Amino acid sequence: MHLPIVFTVLIVLYRLYCALPRRRNAVQHSNTKSLAVFLGSGGHTSEALTLLSALDFERYCPRTYVISEGDSLSAQRARDLESSKASSTKYTILTIPRARRVHQSLATTPPTALHSLLSCIYHVTLARKPFADILILNGPGTCFVLCIAVCVNRFLGLSAPKTIYIESFARVESLSLSGKLLYPFVDRFVVQWRQLLKKAKGAEFRGLLV
Amino acid sequence: MLCFVTVGTFSFDLLVRAVLSEPVLDALQARGYTRLVIQYGDSEFDTSVVTRTGLDIELWARKPSLDQDFRRADLVIGHAGAGTILDPLIVVPNESLLHNHQLELATALAASNHLRTSTIADLAHSVTVFDPAALATFEPFDGSRFRALVDEEMGFQL
Repeated sequence: MHLPIVFTVLIVLYRLYCALPRRRNAVQHSNTKSLAVFLGSGGHTSEALTLLSALDFERYCPRTYVISEGDSLSAQRARDLESSKASSTKYTILTIPRARRVHQSLATTPPTALHSLLSCIYHVTLARKPFADILILNGPGTCFVLCIAVCVNRFLGLSAPKTIYIESFARVESLSLSGKLLYPFVDRFVVQWRQLLKKAKGAEFRGLLV
Repeated sequence: MLCFVTVGTFSFDLLVRAVLSEPVLDALQARGYTRLVIQYGDSEFDTSVVTRTGLDIELWARKPSLDQDFRRADLVIGHAGAGTILDPLIVVPNESLLHNHQLELATALAASNHLRTSTIADLAHSVTVFDPAALATFEPFDGSRFRALVDEEMGFQL
């Protein structure tokens, strides 16, 4: 009988805690921002690293490259980009389990995806605080669970990165599956072909980015 | 002259088999190609057919970096993955992928004269009539748009 009252009081107290000013975080006028980018293998990795190469690494540090389990090629390409930039600032490579393998049937995906989600929540919420100031996503499926982990953080009132999704250059007429999934959840949704603006309201088009 | 064939991270049996078929090998040699490098990923094909007089055929499942192959190739034959389209390219869309969006991209870029498309069945003919000089060139990579986007989101002065 008292349960609803206790519950309500707890929620009010929790939201009050969330609403307290955070002086620790007030020092936000730093000249650097931490950045995380998901490297989804193959063409996704190529595009993400090409985009990243355009950024000022002295400004965006430390950098975290999030790769799927077993994707050593993406890890190597991230290291190659880092050595070509010759920045003195730090980076790390973080490995998470895949949400769905290529050609895996849709029916067996949920348990695989859940495992991946729990791992992402662990990394985004617990393992490092804060995870990053900005998170760049461009597919495929596994980046969705990363985005959901960010949303969980937001829901709990914890620090969470801003999210930017860049739809692949390869998407001309239709959004990718990851694009459709991430569309409601990301802060910025960017497409590279004008035709796609019709498919995603609120999306941004700035010409080709890669 | 070098022809580089790439299937990307996955498999594309039909493309690899087509490239190694008599008509396509004949067409390549007739156009003066002396080297054929095939990055075949997980594709399955009969490896006994890969020797041919006058054409040096090299097979790779994966390569640490394809950059050099793309740079050196006089002709690239590949799936329409975004990493490959800056080159003298014949795109053969892979019909077996989950959603065949590659075809949309290849069609858009073929329409703007940046590349050629071909079906598996037409590949020999496509090789024969391919003329890289007739293709439009791509703008060089310009990172400023993306840089502006991220800097703006993070509150840096542009």
